[in-house]
Amino acid sequence: MTQVQFDRHIAPALHPIDHISFVAPQRQLLNNGAPLYWRSGLQNDTSKIELHFAAGSAISNPLTASLCAGLLINGSNKKTAKQIQKALDAVGAYYDVSLSQETAVVTLYALKHQLYNAYLIFHENLFGALFPFKEVKELVHTRRQKFMVQEQKVSFIAQRCFQRSLLAETVYAKQIQLSDFDLADRSDIQAFHAKHYLKGLKKVFLVGDITEDTLQTFVHLLNQYQSEIPKQATFNWNPELGATHIEQEGAIQSAIRIGRPLFNKTHPDFCAFIVLNTILGDYFGSRLMSNIREDKGYTYGIGSHIVESNQFGYLVIGTEVGTQTREATFREVQHEFERLKNEQIPAEELSLVKSYLMGQLLKSADGPYAMLELFAHVESLGLDLSYYDQYIAEIKAVDAPKLQELAKRYLNWEEMLIISAG
Amino acid sequence: MIAFERFTLANGLRVLFHKEPSTPMAVVNVLYDVGARDENPKQTGFAHLFEHLMFGGSVHIPDFDAPLQAAGGQSNAFTSNDITNYYDVLPAQNLDTALWLESDRMLSLAFTPKSLEVQRQVVIEEFKQRYLNQPYGDAWLHLRPLAYQKHPYRWATIGKNIKHIADATMDDVRAFFKKHYHPGNAILCIVGNFELAEIKEKVQYFFGDIPSQVKSERKLPEEPIQKRLRQKTIVSKVPADSFYYAFQMGKRLDQDYYLADLLSDHLGNEKTGLLFTELQRKRRLVSEITAYITGSLDNGLFVITGKINPNRSLAELDEAIWPLLDHYISKRMSKNALKELILKLQTAKAFQDQGLLNRAMNLCFFELLGAAELINEESKRFEKITTAELQIYAQQLFDKNRCALLQIQAQKP
Repeated sequence: MTQVQFDRHIAPALHPIDHISFVAPQRQLLNNGAPLYWRSGLQNDTSKIELHFAAGSAISNPLTASLCAGLLINGSNKKTAKQIQKALDAVGAYYDVSLSQETAVVTLYALKHQLYNAYLIFHENLFGALFPFKEVKELVHTRRQKFMVQEQKVSFIAQRCFQRSLLAETVYAKQIQLSDFDLADRSDIQAFHAKHYLKGLKKVFLVGDITEDTLQTFVHLLNQYQSEIPKQATFNWNPELGATHIEQEGAIQSAIRIGRPLFNKTHPDFCAFIVLNTILGDYFGSRLMSNIREDKGYTYGIGSHIVESNQFGYLVIGTEVGTQTREATFREVQHEFERLKNEQIPAEELSLVKSYLMGQLLKSADGPYAMLELFAHVESLGLDLSYYDQYIAEIKAVDAPKLQELAKRYLNWEEMLIISAG
Repeated sequence: MIAFERFTLANGLRVLFHKEPSTPMAVVNVLYDVGARDENPKQTGFAHLFEHLMFGGSVHIPDFDAPLQAAGGQSNAFTSNDITNYYDVLPAQNLDTALWLESDRMLSLAFTPKSLEVQRQVVIEEFKQRYLNQPYGDAWLHLRPLAYQKHPYRWATIGKNIKHIADATMDDVRAFFKKHYHPGNAILCIVGNFELAEIKEKVQYFFGDIPSQVKSERKLPEEPIQKRLRQKTIVSKVPADSFYYAFQMGKRLDQDYYLADLLSDHLGNEKTGLLFTELQRKRRLVSEITAYITGSLDNGLFVITGKINPNRSLAELDEAIWPLLDHYISKRMSKNALKELILKLQTAKAFQDQGLLNRAMNLCFFELLGAAELINEESKRFEKITTAELQIYAQQLFDKNRCALLQIQAQKP
């Protein structure tokens, strides 16, 4: 092959993404009214089942919710914790439980021919869970020790203070305190399990090339859950805004959280705000990264994110900077707000971010696992996949004046909650 | 089974191509055969600092990230003690953009004083954030020089201390690039729905004219077999006493690696492992404990680490841990337990191999190890292991004389 000389200054032509297909999963209702969503068509033997329970940390006592999630299959009328683990090992399965404020999600991973066996082990031991005294005691102790380590981290301190103040006077402001561990009670955990797991199944997601018959055996088991999920209380904002610094003796960095109440995907400004937020701080070339990391070198990283829950959303900017540059960082963040409010975003930057967001969406839709996750994001808000078609249309349509208007409405320094620790 | 094609350019660049028809994305992964182990002991942290500079603009392109983002893509990198790995993930139709960017920074960097100055600061903040301003964050900064006395694994990728980074000069940086960043020292892997012929043509077009250079020979000192237990205790502002038992083990491709991997899984299993059942559950000495291996290319470490319960002591733990390890020497693991360990590893691997990026990185990594084909042979190597072999290896591994013990004592308030 002969070498073609070319001008390396000239970038290759770019080809836009003209279309992304969003594929809805197969849906089936369980007896308790909870939907089961199933995606097949994988290129491999992997599979997973994900159970969503209305058992999040904001439901009642956050420590009880956390301990219950950690103890779900740690001993039952059939098996000890060790035997359960051995049974899962024998089918090569893994599981994890992730807890958010609203939901506890249990995920079991196994090769497709073992997924049902893995779930059966989980199911039997969840329904027969005894919460043995020894297991409870052990988990309370380890969690307490881990909590003490967390309490020394400036990021943990700042994040907790931020959430407490932003979500003040709502159920989402409740947090675990070190003293709670002394009061942890086994009967509370048992009651929580009976109420929020056995009667709290909200939905199930299944990915894997299993047969229709196997699917129905899953359905048979899943039908054993009841559903008495109480309606969520109405959410009202009552944030305690303003600036707070928490001094940590000996810290060489300060963790910073800056943010404000916002909205989730159901709000008409959401898609356009995604574009604004990306420009502000949600990709490597963002204004905050370019200024505070790549120009000033104050930090290893800074990011701006929209956190969504079923009922609300908020904006949070997070970073860790040297203690001596904390105030300078505040000034620069404020400066970036002002620029977005006072100057229109240049066409080249806006076009770059639009292409970037399209590329990221294409990636988020790549393969059955990713596609089901995209679906889950909208399903929990009562939306469907057409949201993404609308998202694409809005991203393409949004212009600099609209973004400037959003910046003026939502990026006012005096309306921010500003927390630093360290 | 991960199928791939391999070809080499005249300038020495090794290229792997893995076709994945189901994806609209492309992955471009470039592994450079340089890590912290290749650093001058007086200039540590350089490989990693350099990784940061690779995003500061190259000879013909002022900004690495912007063109990639405009193409809908994203990029990142990591540095280990062994390698520096860069990757780009972008829509397949814009593959050329990634090849253009990667080839230009392989050709030469822009090297601006501003870029060096800023990235020095960024790395210093990274040092603080990850190693200094976290409870137990500095443990490996102490453990490495205890476990290694000759081999350059004795320093961490971030560097021995901040001063080495702060003192880096433009000339140092240029020399580092010249020595390690050239086609013969790199492995490129492309994953996506492409044809081999078009990949060959594109790679030749973008990378073909980069001058070749002789690969510098690596002459690293072998870490001698340790003769006596090494022990170090530090006092730190942490909530609980903590310990790291680090045992010498073999290289990534040695049989050692496979045996040690299985032993660490068995020993460290969260619910059923002996560390948990004996030391945490039964004797209540620790609040957490686990075992893992470093898996480095040169001789690695088998590490047992955890935290001591209030009112128990590091000395009590030490007294209890040795008889426990003797179990593996005196008693053979059951065949069933071994079968389960291997099944779990295979399940985990199936999930890891799902990701395009993982496949691209691993193909490059195994090519560096000797041949990308090895990626498909790992599973078989595990399957061939016998319980007798594990027992014999345990005897060699859990030798107190070949252990480095770091203890972190909580400062009394």
